[in-house]
Parts: sequence; C-alpha cells; structure tokens
Amino acid sequence: MKMQIVLSGVGGQGLVSTGEMIGEAASIHENVYATLAASYGSETRGTFTKSEVIVSDEPISYPNVDEPDIILCLAQVAYDRYIDTFHDKTMVFYDTELVRPSESARGVHVGYPFKQMGIEMGNAAVANTIALGVIAKRTNILKRSSLEASVSEYFAAKPKVIGINLQALNAGFSLD
Amino acid sequence: MRGEKRFIEGNIAIVEGAIAAGARFYAGYPISPSSEIAEYSARLLPRVGGLYIQMEDEISSMAALLGASVAGKKAYTATSGPGVSLMQENLGLGIMSEIPAVIIDVQRSGPSTGAATKPAQGDLMQARWGAHGDHSIIALSPASVQECFDLTVCAFNLAEKYRTPVYLLADETIGHLRETVTIRELEPDEIVSRKQPAEDVGPEDFRPYRYDGIMPEAMPPFGSDRYLSRTTGSTHDEKGEFRPVPENIHRVTHYLTDKIEKNAEDICMTKGWYLDDAETAFITWGCATRSALGAMEQLRARGEKVGMLQLQTVWPMPEKEIRSVLSSVKTVVVPELNLGQAAGEIRKFNDYGCKVVQANRVDGILISPEQIIRVWKEAEQHGEL
Repeated sequence: MKMQIVLSGVGGQGLVSTGEMIGEAASIHENVYATLAASYGSETRGTFTKSEVIVSDEPISYPNVDEPDIILCLAQVAYDRYIDTFHDKTMVFYDTELVRPSESARGVHVGYPFKQMGIEMGNAAVANTIALGVIAKRTNILKRSSLEASVSEYFAAKPKVIGINLQALNAGFSLD
Repeated sequence: MRGEKRFIEGNIAIVEGAIAAGARFYAGYPISPSSEIAEYSARLLPRVGGLYIQMEDEISSMAALLGASVAGKKAYTATSGPGVSLMQENLGLGIMSEIPAVIIDVQRSGPSTGAATKPAQGDLMQARWGAHGDHSIIALSPASVQECFDLTVCAFNLAEKYRTPVYLLADETIGHLRETVTIRELEPDEIVSRKQPAEDVGPEDFRPYRYDGIMPEAMPPFGSDRYLSRTTGSTHDEKGEFRPVPENIHRVTHYLTDKIEKNAEDICMTKGWYLDDAETAFITWGCATRSALGAMEQLRARGEKVGMLQLQTVWPMPEKEIRSVLSSVKTVVVPELNLGQAAGEIRKFNDYGCKVVQANRVDGILISPEQIIRVWKEAEQHGEL
C-alpha cells in the first residue's frame, strides 16, 4: 500500500497541519511510514501552498508527489495547477465555493463547501479538518480512531480547539 | 534505552540530537530555512539548564559559540548560506585555536540571499574552503529526519574528539521534511565528552596544544583554577604563545590538516545499497539521496544492476569507499542540487576509467528520480565521459 496525497490551497488554510495529522496518525498510531513535504513561498499567507504526504507500509524514498492518488484543493489556483496530473482513479476533494472544477477533468470529484461548513460550526479554520474527515471516510487511508488521536495530540498545546476540531473531523466522517 | 517515536521535521530532530549529545549553548540569528532550529532551541535549552542567545548577526553568533565552548560547554548554531558566509572569519579562529563547535547549515538556493525558501546543495565547497588558509574540516550531511538526529549527535562527538568546528550540512528539503523518527536518550558511552588533562599533570607541565601527533591535547575550560589556557588565531606553539617561525608554521599547518585527513577512517561514514553486483552506482549526499533511492528502486524493479553509495560524511570525502565504487562499476551518476561540487571531488579519485556523469538541478526544486534515470540512460547510450 502506498498512497500519495496532495493537500493544496493558499497559505493560512492549515494544510501543513492537516498533513501533520495524517502523518502522525499513520506513523504513530498505525505503525506505517509517512512523509510530509511542504512547499511554501516567502509569504506566510495568501499564496499557493501545498503539502505532499505519502503513507506507505514500506520506507519512503523520494518524498515528493508527482501524481497524487488523493488531492484536496481549497483554492482555484491549486486545482488549476494539478488538473493535468489527475487520472481516472484520482480522488479529487474540493471546496465547492472556492473551486470551479473543469468539466473535462479526469478523476473522481467530491465537493463540499468546507469553508462555509467551518463558519457554520463557528470557526472557518477547521475547514481543513472537515475535509480530512471526508477524505478518510471515502478513501479508508486511516482509521477514524487514529485520526481522532492525532487531532487531539496535534492541538495538545491549544486544548481549547481540540473539541471543535474533533467535531469537524466527525462532521467530515458523517458526510455522504 | 528509551526511544520515542515522533513525526517531526528535520530541523526539530537536529535540535533533539544536539540536546541528546549534551549541547547546552546556542547563539544564532534566525534565517530561512533554518529558523525552526533557533525557535525550538530557545524553547528546549532552558529546560535542560542550557542557554539560548539570539545575537545581532552571524559574526557575533560564531564568536559567542567559541566563547561558550572554551568555557567548557558544547555549543551550536544554525544558519543558512548567507549566515555561513559571515561566520567564516570566526570559524577560522575555531579551527586554528581548536575549539569544538557545531555549525548547522540548512542550505538554500544562493549565492547571496538567493531564493530563501528553496533547497540547494551549493555550500559543499564553502564548507570545505570558506575559511582562508590550509586546513581541513569535518562535515556531515543528513538525508532523512532520522539522520538529522543521529548525525547531529555524531557532529558533536567528532567536534569534541578532534577539537574542531564541525558542520552539519542539511538542506531545505530535509530540514523541512517531516517523517517518522525515533528520538532517544543516549547511553553514556555514545557521548564523547571533552578530554581533560590527566590527574597527574600539574599546572606547570600542562600544555594546551600539541603538534607531535594527529590527536589534539586535552582542553580544560577557560578560567580553570588549575590550568592556564591560551586562545589565539595566530600561529602558536604548545603553550599557545605566538611563534611565527618557519618550522612551527610548517608543523601547525600540517597538523591541522592531518588530524582530520589521517583520521578519515574514523570520521567517514557512508551507507551502501546493492554495491556487490552493481554495474552502475549513484553516489549521493543529502537530499538528492532520496531521489536517487527512488531512481534505484525503479531501475532495480526493471532488473537493472544499480547500486548506491550515500556519503553521510562529506568532509573529508570518504575516499576509500568512493574508490571502491569507482573501481568496481562501469558508470557512476552523481545527483546534486548544485552544478557538480561533489562530482568534481569524486573525479579526483577516478583512476579506474569509470564513467562519472552528473545529474544537476539548480531551480530550487528537489531533483526527481526521473531526471536521474534520464542521465543514467544517456550515459549508457553514449560511450563518452
């Protein structure tokens, strides 16, 4: 099993955090290998950013992702940049209010208004965690219990936001 | 041995390695892509009784490092190319007056400010020859987050053992790569402590330097109430007194090089894959190792006899291991995020007619396995070097 995941959007959407939660769930709680290579500009917010995550039961050599099996796009600029890498089985998760998918694009598209759902939940910053729940449910890459543990650990220093992130993860898992 | 499995980035693993190795002093000036080392050191050092100082620049950082070290502490700094440039003057002082210290260079694209957040491996020669004058240097280069921990420990041990500044040449790719790593407390015998004068050496007999062999003298802390130490960048004798006469200049210059080059067997660390039956070998260091591993896996799966030698020690160059590869394979491919700095060194050892080709990438992106395979294929098709 080797899954190549790209989490893409613009700076400030928490995509590195999401990658860390996946990596921690995989390597600490499921005892498989994981890498996370994040690429960012000199600015911290607003420009294109991506996290490339690989989860594998074998040690991982090259940590970059050329053709993702799973991709999350939380901005049009991110979707446009990766559209040419999609193949028929690529799972494409996107925010329906931030990304307009191309009609000719390959891949299995799954769209939800993640940001809007976060706002309704009380914090737009959990859009990434809602998306994580959806991704985990639709692709079975990681167990729910592993992700719950890694979300709680990731926010251990900010206990106030653990609750809303677990709520966001579960909201993602409950989407059809 | 207590080990803790964590999913962290290379820069954080470097700090864990430094603390585990006994480092208790950090002076530096934050710079991308090394800043997490400063940030995390500031958080961790006070918890273990250590001291973190943010200096006004890299010149003073290196000076503070040497000061802390002569006072008896294991000291380190982290920076990137522009900062390494500013550290060179005091680095030379550290070499000449034999002061242990660890300089972590998380390499980025250069020269000058270059592309601050993009990876490169362009500082190999700066590490070797950045300080003026004849000397040798020790530099280790990690290719994984686990090696960030393990080789940082080795860097401190070598700095103490050979009484000299040691580089850890990391890069943006590995510094910011997060992966699974085991952070552990070291056993006492895994940590090299600074050598002190033997009990029976009286203050009047003690000499802070020695030049008759290839190992340094013991180093009591500056200000010790028993021993007198002198520190100077000028060519000195065993007492540390300025002595610029031909025979002394000659022996000091030879000694500073010999204590590293003649101990290369002890200092050089490498990792090999499939070298027993390889017809082609990739010789790699740092982040390009990961790309080459990917290329090797693809080619092995197709039945090609490809092997690999990773240089964990880059200075001194592991000559013995490189020669062994050059003499046994037909083609060597050297992938680097520079225009051929290690490749040139490897060619110096090529007395065997081996075809040595370069796979270079300098656009701020990690070289891909496909590019390495392309270079290998071209080399196989064309007979010439």
